[in-house]
Amino acid sequence: MSLRAADSATLAVQTSKLGKRFGRQWALAHCDLQVRPGEVLLLAGANGSGKTTLLRLIAGLYKPTQGNLTIYGMDPDQEKLACRRTLTLVGHDNYLYSQLTALEMLQVWTRLRGAELPEAQAIELLREVDLDERRDYAVGGFSAGMRKRLTLLRTRLEEPKLVLLDEPFSALDAAGQNLIEEWIEGYRSAGKTVVLASHNLPRASKMCDRAILLQEGQMLWQGTGSELLDQVGTTV
Amino acid sequence: MNLIGQVITVVRKDLLLEWRGKGRLISVLLFGVVTLLLFSFAVGPDSTLLRAAAGGFLVLALLLSSTLGLSESFRVEQEQRAIEGLLLLPVDPIALYYGKTLSNTLFLMLLAPVLTPVALILYSVQLDLSGLAVLLGLWTLAAAGLSAPGTLYAAMTSRLQSQDVLLPLLLFPLVIPVLMGSVKSITLILTGDPMSQVGSWATLLASFAIIYWSLCGLLFPHAIEEGI
Repeated sequence: MSLRAADSATLAVQTSKLGKRFGRQWALAHCDLQVRPGEVLLLAGANGSGKTTLLRLIAGLYKPTQGNLTIYGMDPDQEKLACRRTLTLVGHDNYLYSQLTALEMLQVWTRLRGAELPEAQAIELLREVDLDERRDYAVGGFSAGMRKRLTLLRTRLEEPKLVLLDEPFSALDAAGQNLIEEWIEGYRSAGKTVVLASHNLPRASKMCDRAILLQEGQMLWQGTGSELLDQVGTTV
Repeated sequence: MNLIGQVITVVRKDLLLEWRGKGRLISVLLFGVVTLLLFSFAVGPDSTLLRAAAGGFLVLALLLSSTLGLSESFRVEQEQRAIEGLLLLPVDPIALYYGKTLSNTLFLMLLAPVLTPVALILYSVQLDLSGLAVLLGLWTLAAAGLSAPGTLYAAMTSRLQSQDVLLPLLLFPLVIPVLMGSVKSITLILTGDPMSQVGSWATLLASFAIIYWSLCGLLFPHAIEEGI
């Protein structure tokens, strides 16, 4: 096995010259990224800098226009289902059906993954995000923060090795944000890899091992979370 | 979980959504009834002519109602990008396709118990119980033949603003064999079949349903490659 192949197998995410073009606009270009297993990586950058595109490429929701990508050594194009067993993405959308209840949503997601979720366990999970009292309510009546908390439970349900979070703190109150911070710490302790994109730099930079600054689809800079704050301040 | 288990989960989820939001079924049913009524007004009081055209009108009501129902079935998926949440799970896209197609077929089958009696009354058609059973069988084949390509196209057009226009434009030319087979066979059931031709038309209908279910199932994963 060559050194390059060995690196690729041990890295959680490796991209080489990865790019995505929409029409004539490159949303992401020449992205060379290596994420080690167990690392918490923060993607920072202004709107339109390519953070969401990069996360969606890693999640397999977009096909790259150029370059290569491996997830724990697997090619998402060749081993789509295996990659999806390995990772989970919580993006801007909530992935909910308004007419299903919180409990039913958890059950649909679990069953489609090929598992069963006993009601007691589902209620326990809902309790974590303070939704156990509302387990039988249609999610259409939930506030934006409640929907976000329910969707974030996907990362608890699916036990992935790689957790992708796009703006995990948006729409959440302080308690919700603290909870997500706790979860991310828990993932780090469990050896899981986390890649998060956030505009909440004071909070996100504290918990990350490494930060990357994106600008107009290009990787501009990388360093630690505190270096990022020195570099760009608290708002990007 | 095997493919069948995933298909069952999608069907259960869709039926539950349908049950909770009965609005879609009721509006599609009403649309079908109004269509049948308009056809009868267009032809006038000539009962012979009405009887002769009853099969065609019934199938057209099914076809027109199906486009409403099919586009709605993916509107629910797009509301909070729920379909993306499913695609992120380790679910075979083929299971999503067959689950959606099966629930759309069941949905179109549900139109039969309402539209058939309305058509029989409006177009003065007499039908015995065995005829009614055959008609329901043909209706099921027609529903299956329509929902297979309909689900594929509804998925492909679900993110487009012009979905309501594009879906029938794409779907109608493709389902002409289903339309012909179902109009001919249902007309024979309603007006009499002295040459016993229903079986041949039903075979044609079943053949196209099988072709569409197989081909569209193979095409669906490619159609949703970039998300839907």
